[in-house]
Amino acid sequence: MEPVKEWKGRATLVDLLDRVFDKGVVIHADVIISVAGIPLIGVNLRAALAGMETMLEYGLMQDMDARTRMWEAQHRKSKEVSLRDGEELILKIFGSYYYSKGIYTAWKSGRFYFTTTRLFLYQQDIAEIVFETPLNKIKAMAIRSERSFTGKDRDIIYLSLEGGKIARVSVLETVEFEDKLQHLVEEAGVILDGEAALMEEFDERASSFLVDGEKIFCTGKIWHLLPEGGIMTDAWKPGYLYLTNKRLCWWYEFGCKIAFQVPVEEITGATKERRNLSTVLKDKEVLDVIYNGTGFKEVVSFSGKETEQWVNALNKTISMGGQTGEDRETETCPQCGRTASIKELLEQGCSMCGWVSPVRNKEVHKIKALA
Amino acid sequence: MSGETQEADSKVVPSEADTRGRYLYCVAEGSQETDLGSIGIDGNNVYTIPYQDISGVVHNCPAQPYESKDNKVVEVWVMAHETVVETARERLGTVLPLGFDTIIKADEEKDPEEMVKVWLKEDYQRLKEKLDKVKGKVEYGVQVSWDIKIVSEKLIGKDQELKDLDQEIKSKPKGMAYMYKQKLEKLMREKIGKEAERCFKDFYEMIKGVTDEIKVEKAKKEEKPGRQMLMNLSCLTDKDAKILGDELEKINNMDGFFVRFTGPWPPYSFV
Repeated sequence: MEPVKEWKGRATLVDLLDRVFDKGVVIHADVIISVAGIPLIGVNLRAALAGMETMLEYGLMQDMDARTRMWEAQHRKSKEVSLRDGEELILKIFGSYYYSKGIYTAWKSGRFYFTTTRLFLYQQDIAEIVFETPLNKIKAMAIRSERSFTGKDRDIIYLSLEGGKIARVSVLETVEFEDKLQHLVEEAGVILDGEAALMEEFDERASSFLVDGEKIFCTGKIWHLLPEGGIMTDAWKPGYLYLTNKRLCWWYEFGCKIAFQVPVEEITGATKERRNLSTVLKDKEVLDVIYNGTGFKEVVSFSGKETEQWVNALNKTISMGGQTGEDRETETCPQCGRTASIKELLEQGCSMCGWVSPVRNKEVHKIKALA
Repeated sequence: MSGETQEADSKVVPSEADTRGRYLYCVAEGSQETDLGSIGIDGNNVYTIPYQDISGVVHNCPAQPYESKDNKVVEVWVMAHETVVETARERLGTVLPLGFDTIIKADEEKDPEEMVKVWLKEDYQRLKEKLDKVKGKVEYGVQVSWDIKIVSEKLIGKDQELKDLDQEIKSKPKGMAYMYKQKLEKLMREKIGKEAERCFKDFYEMIKGVTDEIKVEKAKKEEKPGRQMLMNLSCLTDKDAKILGDELEKINNMDGFFVRFTGPWPPYSFV
């Protein structure tokens, strides 16, 4: 069998293109202005010959991406942020800030600038300061590892600012950020409060499930025997227990959801004891909460360090005897805005403007139709 | 960038205005300054820039990449690139080909010629090693494809499981036959996958025996309907093409198998 080599004809043109575009010695230096596979060149030709899919495999589009990025990087260099008079730049660090305004929320990323007087996040692309605070207005800092939407854990830095505002930020170098901030505010004459002070005020997790008028009495990290949490079996899982004026509920950390809840008026008892949880978890503090389940009493178990505190809190709620029921909760009438109890509004409608809940309205129609 | 059709005409005299770039075709053995003539892209004069005992084969160009949306233009450029590499191999000996559109540019202090030397100097060790590796060797492209239909029929004849299932279909009523057909197709896909694996291993061993080095490339989509590429290899060898050709002949003679054998190429895949 003889090899074909008539590349001057079309027979082996594809073979030639494969070699000339994607192969050959690669120069690792910044002296070259282009390498094979520059997207503009012969893209049509390659596309026709190889098909789009192959082209992506060959990384042509990546080149395009790299070029676009390079162009962008070159063009934004001119837009450096300008500092104020007498202000000195101390550290620049990549990071993002949790921006929220009304229903719009987003992690906005850019560079954090530490200067002698303030901390701010600057977005170079749009030449905008997204977040800014004077150093002496930072009151407390806490760092918590949280699961991001990508499924990876990352450190979130919470900053409590004067006036009760909380800023959530995230940076690549958490430790560096923390050290620098601590150091700078100290110089500015402020001692930062730690975790405890800050977390009392702010609980992002809870804000996702708390309903209007619901207040947290007690919260803490605790393990829970999650039914079918393991493979076909019950398993102990970490999470956070919340006692509010409405319910006792447990936030499942990995599931990112409420995995157990019971209305406070159904809780009838709470005790603690030390016992073995499994062959591995031995002699652990366990909190057992007894409540009225569907028809009979049920027990739910938690395990953690603060069981004593939980027993006290729960017993206090029990002794109040379900006073936190629906009839004591108020809501405003959606039509005239009068404040009335939820129960009254839903069942009888508003006595002032005559508004009736649509659900109730439907029932009335049904009854009329039957008659 | 003037990548217009007129430039495809190699008679166009290159502009002398901007020559802050050097288009690199390949690195060759030799310390001589050699003029290879006007064989370059767009008829540019090609010559060597030596550093010690290796040289860059270049032409003068603006410090801008060659770009064109016209496929014909690009084809002509690519062929010119290849012509230069081939000619350099004939005239200068062992070459390390570069990819299309590799251009070294001048900086504020050094002219482009010096920049080529700087690169040759910096990468000298690496380039020398590679030159040694491909010395006296050429590259061949080997692509083996098969005809799915022929292979399937052969498999049914050989494989008892498939044979039984095929027989069963014939005895079934229409509805059932349809179900069985699907079952057969599924089983067939599995068997074909295994067969492809087996063939790949066999052929690879055969080719390995008669070449110095093999690089497995991505199999490509076949243009001819019913054909499927089994393997796409680049082979480096210093032996006569006939030795590899004889081995490939054996594969090509097998019923349902087709071999594409191209070359000799400059060793693009082994540098």
